[in-house]
Amino acid sequence: MSELAIRRGAAPALEVQGLGYSYPQAAKRALEDVSLEVAPGEFVLLAGRSASGKSTLLKAACGLVPHFHGGEIEGDVRVAEIDALEAGPGELAAAVGYLAQDPETQVVSTTVAAEIELPLEMRGDAPSDRARAVEEVALALAIPHLLDRAVDTLSGGELQRVALAAALVTRPRLILLDEPTSQLDPVAGDELIWLLRRLNEEWGVAVLLAEHRLERCLAAADRVVAMEGGGIAFDGASGDFLRWSHESDAALSTPAARLFSLAGIAPLPVGVRDARQTLRGTGIGHPPHIASRRVPDPRSTEPVLRAQGLWVELDRGEEMRDVLRGINLEVRPGERVALMGRNGAGKSTLLRTAAGLHEPVAGKLDVESIALLTQNPGDYLVRERVGDELPGDEGMAALRVVGLEHAVDADPRDLSGGERQRLALAIALAGRMKGEQLPAVVALDEPTRGMDRVRKDELGALIRSLAGDVAFVDKEATEATGAAAVVVATHDVEFASAFAERVVLLGEGVVIADGPMEEILSGGWYFATEVARVLDLPGIVTPEQGAAVLKGELG
Amino acid sequence: MKSPFAYRPRHAPLQDASPGAAVAYLGAIVVVAFLYFNPLILLAAGAAASLAGILAGARTAVRAALKLGLSLALLIAVVNALVTTRGETVVARLGHWPLLGRVDVTLEAIVAGLSYGLVAAATIVAFAVYSACVDPDRVLRALRPLAGRSALTASLVSRLVPVAAADAARLRDAATLRGPGAAPVGKAPLARRLLAGSLDRAVDVAATLELRGYSLDAPRARNRRTSSRYDRRFYAVAALVLVTAVAGRILGADDFQAYPEVSIGLGPATLAVVAVVTLSGLAPWKPPPKRRIIDVRQREVARV
Repeated sequence: MSELAIRRGAAPALEVQGLGYSYPQAAKRALEDVSLEVAPGEFVLLAGRSASGKSTLLKAACGLVPHFHGGEIEGDVRVAEIDALEAGPGELAAAVGYLAQDPETQVVSTTVAAEIELPLEMRGDAPSDRARAVEEVALALAIPHLLDRAVDTLSGGELQRVALAAALVTRPRLILLDEPTSQLDPVAGDELIWLLRRLNEEWGVAVLLAEHRLERCLAAADRVVAMEGGGIAFDGASGDFLRWSHESDAALSTPAARLFSLAGIAPLPVGVRDARQTLRGTGIGHPPHIASRRVPDPRSTEPVLRAQGLWVELDRGEEMRDVLRGINLEVRPGERVALMGRNGAGKSTLLRTAAGLHEPVAGKLDVESIALLTQNPGDYLVRERVGDELPGDEGMAALRVVGLEHAVDADPRDLSGGERQRLALAIALAGRMKGEQLPAVVALDEPTRGMDRVRKDELGALIRSLAGDVAFVDKEATEATGAAAVVVATHDVEFASAFAERVVLLGEGVVIADGPMEEILSGGWYFATEVARVLDLPGIVTPEQGAAVLKGELG
Repeated sequence: MKSPFAYRPRHAPLQDASPGAAVAYLGAIVVVAFLYFNPLILLAAGAAASLAGILAGARTAVRAALKLGLSLALLIAVVNALVTTRGETVVARLGHWPLLGRVDVTLEAIVAGLSYGLVAAATIVAFAVYSACVDPDRVLRALRPLAGRSALTASLVSRLVPVAAADAARLRDAATLRGPGAAPVGKAPLARRLLAGSLDRAVDVAATLELRGYSLDAPRARNRRTSSRYDRRFYAVAALVLVTAVAGRILGADDFQAYPEVSIGLGPATLAVVAVVTLSGLAPWKPPPKRRIIDVRQREVARV
């Protein structure tokens, strides 16, 4: 095919035929007979549980597999008519851009402008061409103000945009994204998805996006490809995907689809707008205003965590900055609290201050005892046997709390992602328990990064059991272990709605909202569940609550 | 926390200059420090490096480098005073020490030690200013056509250092947060974990470099960045400092003797070198932009 035809977009952006692949020394194949075509200018969403082969497929499309990772490969991969198995990632860079999950390892230069310019410089473009391309991509991604900044002064969202700009600056035919929103707050995540949609529409860039939070991007996609066990289990339109997931793998369903399914309404909606239109069609577009559901006030007991006028100052690269500004907060035993807010709002700093990693500059923070699990559970695992990490009775008691007493002799590396997280939590708990009694506060910082829904449900159940929720532990066990207050810093509104009874919303270091989960997560737009955005009813945030209301309306 | 010596982009002459011009300028100051032993000229070299850093906006780097350099100078002076038996002006008799024998501290040994220390201090400040003001990416790209593999390795390392530092900080935090009932971390397992993590990170960063096309052939010369309007100034100052330093050496400007008695020359050649070297620190100076005061009445007249 001629170069002109490729440029104009006649050739598919990506063609994969019978692709099979195994990583070096892997017992199981990562990809099995994958065939897929992405048309020019198409926006394709890649869905699937963890370890289903999504990331490997993206790496094969940009040449990292097999050129960088090695392993055994068979089949055919072509990107804009270039044979990806022949050409290396460097040669493919002109036709395909790749954006991985962790933005920190995706920048290799000191300044933003240099980072964006690098691929063009490596390609040998003239300085004037480079300057124009950098300017245009910076304008397209709304980051011209960042061009002179050092990359280590950027926030996670800014860094992700810079990495995206570096991937787009060569005007590739195809952009591959591997869970780009997993470390972003809901605002930055939504902005990134709609930015991709705009680039897709205006620049004609084909997009292949792997995501776990499907509700965030399903409405933007033209087509969904679902992977399972290294192969393709579904390939079709978004609406058909929802029907397929409802019957075949409910873990891939979206909250709005679950709402409709539980309420018996068809067709299943691909997004908030679609759901509202369908509801208007059924004549229940304006359900009656119902009173906010209040959770029982637990404030009859003494708080186990109390912050009074708490100010914390941290070095933010260029200068010292007040990250917490006069926080007042009380948490009581057995409370399940979701700490939410934008990146940099102060969520992690509050938890780290409670755990003694930062000193307040003013005010005070009293906490009886606290076990904190930070964002990377792997940081806690330094030995090659679970029993060596947690020796003695105290270690065994902590393992029992997280349900890992059977894994004493296992190597932590052989555990699943969820088990490793629970092991890290046990390491934080060990010795802070009095017998079987949990510490007063158990805190988790962004525990759902990169998790699929099944693992999130397991984690939600663990949190409820730690807080002594009788639905998740038997009464005797609750009395034996006591109830800890569980505080979780998270960006994931759907996860918060599944485990929390109270939400504290931080903004720029101050508490801007604090109340029952149903009230906070139904009272906004960004920090609201998909069901809350569909129904716009105070206190209705989960598919089950929404379905009950809709059934009442329909009945 | 960011290192005080880390590069920070600013629009100032030293940062805007090409890496070659900046290296020539700061290198000339370092050459002076290694050519001379006269404390006055060494002080001038240190002052020039500090002044250059301050004018380039790298106050934090200069302050940290001065702390480090002067502490080192003091340490060298103390060690030299203890181990050197030369000099006639004894300021303290410390008796017999194991290994060192009889220790008499002389004024000459202290001054000689301070001179050695000043060489180290001036060099440290110059390198700190280089580190804080010269964009490492531009240096690596300038090197790439000459030594592609070395530049690739240097790029990888320069990116990995801050990433590894962040990883180490995280691992330290996790070690602090372990419950008292968990096995203590220990330095060896922690180091092993950091190394394993660094290797993973190195693979990720190397993959990114690969995707950016770093493995392709080095770009041709026409693609090199154009020079800055400040380059001539820095090359000229570097040449002036070097010529003055060499001429000064020939004319006896390094008139300094520590033993048997301290004697510091203050001849015209020495003073000339001190003046030129000190003034060279002004090279990164940029005059503030001129404010244009427009007379409103004149503007009205012009409009009419």
